[in-house]
Amino acid sequence: MSTAMAINVGYFVRESFVSFKRNWVMSLGAIITIYLSLLLVGVSVGSGMLLGQVVQSVEEKVSIRVYLKDGAAPEDVDALQQVLVSNPEVSNVTYTSKEQALEDFKTTMVQDSPEIVDQLEGNPLPASLDVDLVDPRNVMTVVNAIKTDPTFPKVADRPDDPDRSLKYGQQIVNQLFAATRIMRIVSGAFIAMLGVISLIFINNAIRLAIYARRKEIGIMRLVGASNWFIRTPFLMEGVIQSLIGAFLAIGTLALVWFYAIPAAVEILPFLPLGLEGGEAMQVSLILIFGGIIIGLIGAGLALRRYLKV
Amino acid sequence: MISMRNVSKIYVPNKPPALDDCTVEIAQGEFVFLVGHSGSGKSTFIRLLLRELLPTRGQIVVAGQDLTKMKAWKVPYLRRNIGCVFQDFKLLPNKTTYENVAFTLEVIGRSKHVVRTQVPEVLRLVGLEDKMASYPDELSGGEQQRVSIARAFVNRPPLLLADEPTGNLDPATSLGIMSLLNRINKTGTTVLVATHDREMVDSMRKRVIALEGGKVIRDQDRGVYGYGD
Repeated sequence: MSTAMAINVGYFVRESFVSFKRNWVMSLGAIITIYLSLLLVGVSVGSGMLLGQVVQSVEEKVSIRVYLKDGAAPEDVDALQQVLVSNPEVSNVTYTSKEQALEDFKTTMVQDSPEIVDQLEGNPLPASLDVDLVDPRNVMTVVNAIKTDPTFPKVADRPDDPDRSLKYGQQIVNQLFAATRIMRIVSGAFIAMLGVISLIFINNAIRLAIYARRKEIGIMRLVGASNWFIRTPFLMEGVIQSLIGAFLAIGTLALVWFYAIPAAVEILPFLPLGLEGGEAMQVSLILIFGGIIIGLIGAGLALRRYLKV
Repeated sequence: MISMRNVSKIYVPNKPPALDDCTVEIAQGEFVFLVGHSGSGKSTFIRLLLRELLPTRGQIVVAGQDLTKMKAWKVPYLRRNIGCVFQDFKLLPNKTTYENVAFTLEVIGRSKHVVRTQVPEVLRLVGLEDKMASYPDELSGGEQQRVSIARAFVNRPPLLLADEPTGNLDPATSLGIMSLLNRINKTGTTVLVATHDREMVDSMRKRVIALEGGKVIRDQDRGVYGYGD
């Protein structure tokens, strides 16, 4: 049994390559379209991962800051803080005093020219409550909860216009989510389109391969070769074509990874670009399995249509 | 070995059937000629036995298996028990004599060892041991038909079907092919030969089943071709 299997595997691989050589133009067409569609899959999956990181880093910065007026009653501030902590959408509330705010300002904002701080008269910075959120998308719920809270107007930095005492990054988050959604839809549509085109190309390449071998197939049927024995070389040919496409796509993405991304990071250092090795592995695996599936489906469709057994 | 009961095959509705209510029994080890004019239903008869076609009506049992109830995936295993020879030889032009015969064993998954021992043996049986490395276009018609008989017989099937095996050959060569088929029959293999080669049938004196217009019009042991044209 094991020797018979060994013969078979050798036979299938040999047959696939012979057939590949026989109609290499169609095979090349199939490989190129698979390469392009898998490249696009890789680009969109990879950039999806990158964008996810950007969104996440922005989300981490999305918190609500409640500016407090100087001399707000500590018990009112405490009360507001308690209300916020008990809100299920809130993960953490930190109180920043006026002095702390000034320290933060000194260390983060004016590193290069500390003399600016010396020119300040007193401490113009208000104290604040920093509210971290469980899910940044629900920022408005928490904002509304703060606005309707009865103690909020009492402690707000600008009692005449309490809304302006609140700061939050709603806009950015919404825009980012909209952008990623559009990107997903567009790249999904492109991938689907290229997927269909590469199926057509594989289908065609396998059809020609079947045609080129119709005499052999007729004899195989006559002498009782099993159906899978007749079909396997063609399925394998489809898979080999799409695997070649997949590896070309992975190679191209690797070039982008090693040369283009470091260059981009140099230009845009504030963006957290860069994928982990594990994520690159994930993208490669997606491409390889995607390729195998496209190859099997394309060849399978051709066999169903052109190889009646 | 072969049992056909009331078999009809209609290709196009409302046209005369290719086979019309045929009932034929062929026992194991028999040598049978199937005779008739072109279009009398000989090829349909053969293709039904190979289950390339299903009958419109009736039952066909080959080697103990009811073809009308057979699952599609089992058909290849049926065909491993049926050797097949055709008028046009159906050899692969890019393979040598040896490779053409070995191909049969390879595609049904026989081991290399079996291939190496059985192929030369069957080529010796058909008298082509000196032409193992020749390609089909280097062989005469008779030699090519011997290769195709070797291919049909290499797996030692209990049944050998031949559809006009001498149709492309001159009388002397045909005689050689027929005596080869006769020798194969002597090993216990059932042989069914569809032909319209009158002299051959008359000289061999085997059982003859005559078809006309899809009907069995005559079935006699030690018969002759017997159409008065």
